[in-house]
Amino acid sequence: MVKPGQYLGQALLFGLFFLPLVYLTSQPVYLRQDPQLATIKVAVRHAGAVVGECVAAGGEAYDKLPVNMRRPEICPRERSPLRLQLRLDEQTLFSVTEPASGLHSDGVSSVYRRFTVPTGRYQLSMLMNDDVAVEGFNWQLEQEIELLPAQVMVVSFKGGFRIQ
Amino acid sequence: MAPEHRGQAVKSALKHAFNWLESQFSRLFTAQCNPLYQLGAMSFFYYWIVAITGVYLFIFFETSISGAYASVEQITHEQWYFGGVMRSFHRYASAAMGICVTLHLLREFAMDRYSGVRWFSWVSGIPLLWLLFASAIGGYWLVWDVQAQYIAITTAEWFDVLPIMVDPMASNFLNEASLSDRFFSLLVFLHIGIPLALLLGMFIHIKRISNVRTNPARGLAAGTLLAMLVISLWRPALSQAPANLDVAVTEVGLDWIFLNPYPLIDDWGPGTVWLLLVGLSTLLTILPWLPSRRPQQTPIAVVDPANCNGCGWCLADCPYEAVTLKVHDFKPGRQQSVVDPDLCISCGICAGACPSSSPFRHVDELITGISIPSLHIKELLPLTESKLRELQGTGRVMVYGCDHGSDFANTESESVACISMPCTALVPPAFIDYVLRKDLADGVMISGCCEGDCHYRLGNTWMNQRFNEERMPILRTRVPRKLVRTRWLGVQGQAQLDREILEFQHYLRHDTDAQAQAISHG
Repeated sequence: MVKPGQYLGQALLFGLFFLPLVYLTSQPVYLRQDPQLATIKVAVRHAGAVVGECVAAGGEAYDKLPVNMRRPEICPRERSPLRLQLRLDEQTLFSVTEPASGLHSDGVSSVYRRFTVPTGRYQLSMLMNDDVAVEGFNWQLEQEIELLPAQVMVVSFKGGFRIQ
Repeated sequence: MAPEHRGQAVKSALKHAFNWLESQFSRLFTAQCNPLYQLGAMSFFYYWIVAITGVYLFIFFETSISGAYASVEQITHEQWYFGGVMRSFHRYASAAMGICVTLHLLREFAMDRYSGVRWFSWVSGIPLLWLLFASAIGGYWLVWDVQAQYIAITTAEWFDVLPIMVDPMASNFLNEASLSDRFFSLLVFLHIGIPLALLLGMFIHIKRISNVRTNPARGLAAGTLLAMLVISLWRPALSQAPANLDVAVTEVGLDWIFLNPYPLIDDWGPGTVWLLLVGLSTLLTILPWLPSRRPQQTPIAVVDPANCNGCGWCLADCPYEAVTLKVHDFKPGRQQSVVDPDLCISCGICAGACPSSSPFRHVDELITGISIPSLHIKELLPLTESKLRELQGTGRVMVYGCDHGSDFANTESESVACISMPCTALVPPAFIDYVLRKDLADGVMISGCCEGDCHYRLGNTWMNQRFNEERMPILRTRVPRKLVRTRWLGVQGQAQLDREILEFQHYLRHDTDAQAQAISHG
């Protein structure tokens, strides 16, 4: 037979179990990022230029191919890696070379980076090379930006760099 | 201190802590309703609460960027109390399940219930931790508030360090413009699929044990529901500010029960946290086979076909389904027991269930149909007789106990004999009848693990049922019940057992009714 005191004790234990549980489902608050910082995200998904030139097909082996398999040119599949660099004023935030995906390096290159920086005005330089045959950077964006507290600024690429 | 000794010290401290807590809980809840004895069953119970409330919430949930947050808010605030309570039950039951599962793991570790035959349940439980966390995290994601935004970005960045990701997952959460409605459909699919996989895993987790308890005691379940209702009304689960990917998450109210790795991902980096969690999971997985942890392999139960009549009582009582029946080796049309060496844990419960384990049999040597080599029934009989013949005076008590219950080192006296064995259910009820009928003792006391917490899962349950004539082999009706006492007090009930024995002896010496019953039975 359970006594009234036991019910009281049970209530106490249920409380001891659930109260910390309820508290811990939302508290203490986690300070993830200083509110005075802003975020810059760089997200580039782009296929680099094909490495090498197409050559005209021909020769004995070509002639032996069935007609439907004959193509006028044989082109390489490998694509250039992406070389990316992000600068804020004179400081380089990151510089990376991302190879093309795929077993034959014939897919797209994808780059994602997230940075937190103090708020304020900056000169942003986003540089990219997508062709190993080209010296230096063949894509670039120079822009003065103003970052506000907790702002998220995204630099992406679609036929050219753009800031959102 | 060497690492293995440090590990043992931690385990020993944990065991003592659990034992102390369990005795306090048993006082308030009774042994039958002690939540610490049914952490697995409580986890199942919370799972069903989460599943049922989840189905309700899903009916009203909208799988779109703009609709997700709004629909959850609508459920919470515009369905008067019902929707809010259902949501709170959903959240708090999942958190409670997380805690119960963690305690369950710690307790099984502390009580040494993870190696040997038990490796399967232990190892199959490790992926369940991942599935449980994934289910809970997916649920928080669906709310699409600031916490969900933080989870989405951090989880995506966490997975992006794995070499399997071609396109960064985090690219899906760049800003508001990059988010897709289809993403929420995928999340809902995952939030249904992963808990279903968890349920399947839970089924596999208990597959190799018999008579599994997946429902907690009714009183405990009712109390839990009541407590959750009170908590849900007092502090309902609420969303935080809506997610806005154009604004960085600076402060967030975090569920520290399930999201505790996330701040580590921020501080240590995703790769380090992968190493930590995969390393921890691997360590837990191989724990049953670590040399310092591996228990001494005791010889498994042995069947003697000549004395086995294929009754199946041992099969019914084996807690690990280690016994099956096959065609008898030489008795036509009969069956005999077979022991699976991979499943036998050498508890001896089968020997206690065997009808041939009767000391009243007219045989030169008490060979039984099934027995464990470490304490054969044919050895238990002379051991019992020799110990009892040394007893003097009145109030002579035979105490049968188990190696996982109270220590008998200081319990024996000139009028008290004790025999400890792997599990008390190894004692056939006929032995008790024999001891009293032959007047070898005035009373018999059975002790062992706490009720509902048998080291071999079912020993004390089967003994109670045998004594109550609910399970074969029964303690015969002719045995005076006043001369037999069962006390399931566990290792923490040492002092109480000694007091109970003294009180029992006092009863046997002074109660005329008991004396009369003893005389008539003898």
